[in-house]
Amino acid sequence: MSTSPASTENTGEKELPLGTTPAFAGMHKWLKRGIFVCLFALVVEGAFTVPALALWYGWPTLSFTEICSELMKVRYSDDTVECEHPYPVDGPPFGGKPEAADQTTARDEWGVQPKPDYGRIGFRELIRIHEERIARQEAQNAAPR
Amino acid sequence: MNLPTFTRRRASADTAKTTATSSVTYDQHHEQSRAAQRHADIWLTIGTALMGTFVLGFIGLPIFLRGVWLQRQAQKAGLSVRPIMVTLIGYLVVLDAFLNSIGWILDLGASHTLITRVFFTAWGNFVDNGYFWHYNELWIGGSSAPGEKGWEVTLIFTVFPMRVAAAIAFLQMKRWGHQWLTVTCWFGVVIWVGYVVNMTMYADIRFDGTVLPVVGWWLYDIFYITPFLAIPYLHTVNREIFSD
Repeated sequence: MSTSPASTENTGEKELPLGTTPAFAGMHKWLKRGIFVCLFALVVEGAFTVPALALWYGWPTLSFTEICSELMKVRYSDDTVECEHPYPVDGPPFGGKPEAADQTTARDEWGVQPKPDYGRIGFRELIRIHEERIARQEAQNAAPR
Repeated sequence: MNLPTFTRRRASADTAKTTATSSVTYDQHHEQSRAAQRHADIWLTIGTALMGTFVLGFIGLPIFLRGVWLQRQAQKAGLSVRPIMVTLIGYLVVLDAFLNSIGWILDLGASHTLITRVFFTAWGNFVDNGYFWHYNELWIGGSSAPGEKGWEVTLIFTVFPMRVAAAIAFLQMKRWGHQWLTVTCWFGVVIWVGYVVNMTMYADIRFDGTVLPVVGWWLYDIFYITPFLAIPYLHTVNREIFSD
């Protein structure tokens, strides 16, 4: 130890943590509280985000592959795209083509600051979109017979 | 005298030379302190590792808190262990760096796995459409938001590893750990200002059609300000407690 810290701490009436001087004792106390809040919040949101997103976007009614496909259909405004799973291992970033390469259906207002043109997806709305499309396709298939 | 553990080698050598009589008690005290700190660190490290996985955070948090409690008990018993604040800041900065890195590394290197395509685009659609808009259309895959890949590569390969290294040295109560943690926490200010301005410039991409735009993003991301909370502490802590 280069110099003794004894002269700068533990001089107050109540014992301060090592390294905390009386002048900053209050600030350090509040920083500690803030850090505990961040710690708890990070853990809670870390643990809840994945299940909460899964529920919002239709799991378990839709499988993950179906959610992936439905999100793609919204993203590219194209009912024919499907989530390819498993994707070839030589795909990005290892040189292969990305999933959405050459797509031409996405709607944007192009400009220096592009503006996308897809709607907001509501709570479990992907299920309704999915089921309506299936029903539509079945009706189309049934019609010619 | 309540000598901190990190001066062990030099201090014990000095003590051995000068005061042979008191060295026994000092050594005992030192051994007990070191063992107590190590015991607490095992719990703290396992807890942080689990919290770093996002989904297993609920298992990690009680383990981490037990580590903090063990360290407090050691402190109360008069042993020379790290101040609680140093422990909290050190481990939380590591956690913050890991959580950020995991997300961005997956976007860079695993953009076509099912889990990334479901949860990144879903998260994006919910709070930041930068992770939904034209996702997996860029040749490298992942987010196509302007500027995003620049931030990912820069931060994954510079600030976050520097921050983890600094935090580990900080937890070992080394002087360079304190200095570099100060540097890399100030880097955090650069990151936040740069990232938020970039998002704002392309706000339509980020927040058009987003379920919870702007407010949702801030609600989710505000808890990553731990490195900011470290800055005032790092500038006001008595630097003499960190050894050269």
